[in-house]
Amino acid sequence: MSTAPGPGSAPGPDGPVGLALPVTVVLVDDHDMFRTGVRASLDSRVRVVGEAADVPTAVRVVHEARPAVVLLDVHLPGGDGGGGAEVARACADLVRTEPRVRMLALSVSDAAEDVVAVIRAGARGYVTKSISPEALSDAVVRVAGGDAVFSPRLAGFVLDAFGATGAGAQEAVDDHELDRLTAREREVMRLIARGRSYREVAGELFISIKTVETHVSAVLRKLQLSSRHELTRWAAQRRLL
Amino acid sequence: MTTAPTPAPAAPASTRPPLRRPARGRWVAGVAAGVAEHLGADVRIVRAVFVGAALLGGVGVLAYVFWWVTIPEGTGRAERPAVWSRVAKPLTATPGRRGLRLSDVVVALGLLAVAALLLASRMGEGRTQSWLVPVLLLVAGTLLAWSELDARRGGSSGRVRTLRLVGGAAIAVTGAVLLVTQRADPAVIVQSALAAVAVLCGVGLVLAPWWLRLVRELGDARAERERESERADIAAHLHDSVLQTLALIKARSTEPEVVRLARAQERDLRAWLYDDRAPAATSLAAAIAEVVAVIEDTRTFPDGTAPEIETVVVGDVAPDDLPEDAATALLAATREALLNAVAHGAPPVSLYLEASPRAVEVFVRDHGAGFALDDVPTDRFGVRESILGRLHRRGGEASVTRVPDGGTEVRLYLTPAQHQEET
Repeated sequence: MSTAPGPGSAPGPDGPVGLALPVTVVLVDDHDMFRTGVRASLDSRVRVVGEAADVPTAVRVVHEARPAVVLLDVHLPGGDGGGGAEVARACADLVRTEPRVRMLALSVSDAAEDVVAVIRAGARGYVTKSISPEALSDAVVRVAGGDAVFSPRLAGFVLDAFGATGAGAQEAVDDHELDRLTAREREVMRLIARGRSYREVAGELFISIKTVETHVSAVLRKLQLSSRHELTRWAAQRRLL
Repeated sequence: MTTAPTPAPAAPASTRPPLRRPARGRWVAGVAAGVAEHLGADVRIVRAVFVGAALLGGVGVLAYVFWWVTIPEGTGRAERPAVWSRVAKPLTATPGRRGLRLSDVVVALGLLAVAALLLASRMGEGRTQSWLVPVLLLVAGTLLAWSELDARRGGSSGRVRTLRLVGGAAIAVTGAVLLVTQRADPAVIVQSALAAVAVLCGVGLVLAPWWLRLVRELGDARAERERESERADIAAHLHDSVLQTLALIKARSTEPEVVRLARAQERDLRAWLYDDRAPAATSLAAAIAEVVAVIEDTRTFPDGTAPEIETVVVGDVAPDDLPEDAATALLAATREALLNAVAHGAPPVSLYLEASPRAVEVFVRDHGAGFALDDVPTDRFGVRESILGRLHRRGGEASVTRVPDGGTEVRLYLTPAQHQEET
């Protein structure tokens, strides 16, 4: 019985369907020690098939290995200086074609602009390096299944950017659909920000886990596509929360 | 929805690159190249338009000089703001070929002028010389002085720049004097020159303070910018090295004291890296962060591990916006709830603060055995008094609920007084 928060709930019967285990993963991080640590902490559901320490190597290794998931550090040397977001953009061709390669950002940084940059570059989730080993494996499996992984902090960012109370949405009636959260999505985000697992959110709102995942994916899509200028302005203003 | 295609990042809004004179691909001063980049047009067309306009009564030359003066140097491609340099440093730009240097143009024009003079004198056109030489001197001097505008900051030493400016001015003045006073009495020339100098001195005296202030402000602004970019560099470096190491220590160490130390260091470092956060007195979020820090530093879970409280903050208010003492009560109740979570609960403990001018809401959640208020004997005052009572007395609400999957959640809710008065 997992009681880990947010993405930490184990993909039991409600987890990703038809997913070939173990999930193949490429680790991208410029710290050797950290890669070693992550490799040691991932459990049997996940298999590391490649590693890279900078942007060009990462792009090459990901194209060669075509893993199910790329664990991507946000800060990386090399390339044009774009870090993890640059890798995600360079691998965008793999994201659209089967078998899909999905990005999961992993960073010590919880600075808003880092989160927004890498999510908007196409990552399916964002977890910080303080995540527990089991929760990290869970997150990888979840992303491999096509779901989005929202840590409580990322949910907090979303609420902050889109307006937590919904007042912003009422003021701007002409907002594009992508620029505001529905009441349900906001509720889900608040519960995740409060440390609930997807399963707990589902129980609380009397909906299925699949529905929770649908809401979260919709929010991720809005985060990636929204042209809401507040999103970028907000990211520049709030460097840390 | 599980296999929703991950769309490519949103196409940036079709904004033009800013009008700049790029260092690369310039012929004279980069005006045509900059305009072409700004308009998204072929640089050859822009140059042709400029030349054509120059032939039509010199409009092109005027426009070129005007833009040369008013358009700053740089690249139209978005330069990374200081904030972004934290993400990663861009590689140092390789210095591009600078095209034609202005001094070369001046020399060439000078040589052409001399050639024209020689040609003119050979053909015996005495009249032409009388105004051609002064005009050429004037143009050459002006160009020399204006070339200062184009000089790279710090690219040439101060002496060269002074020489260029003073020399150019001297040449131009000579040209002007020669032009104006071709057949005048020497006494009149001296007299009018003195008068001109006097007027210039007077104007200079009047404008000096304004000019000095401008220079000083410019220097301050530049120093500020340099400090900011230096700080961003340091932040990027610390981010990549020290924070990583601390995260590693936190993740791998089994010693609670080491973990606690690493966490405290990490918190300090983050606070320094992002010291643009509001000070505690003006921000409820900062006050809550302090409460969290104290508990992380001093308390342990029943099993001896150091607690880490996952804090998520949405929005912020100033404590002054809350009713009298309400902020204090809220903070004390939050502290009490966190202490309970650490003393009786199990990790992970999370705190969620949502603050807007209309309401402040705090959730503290742990993953312990769970705890409901009804189970607590009525003679026990711990939670009732320290959490619920505090909030109720300030007109707020508080509740303690058991989460179905295990753990307890404390909810604190306050409505700022100002809101009621204003509406």
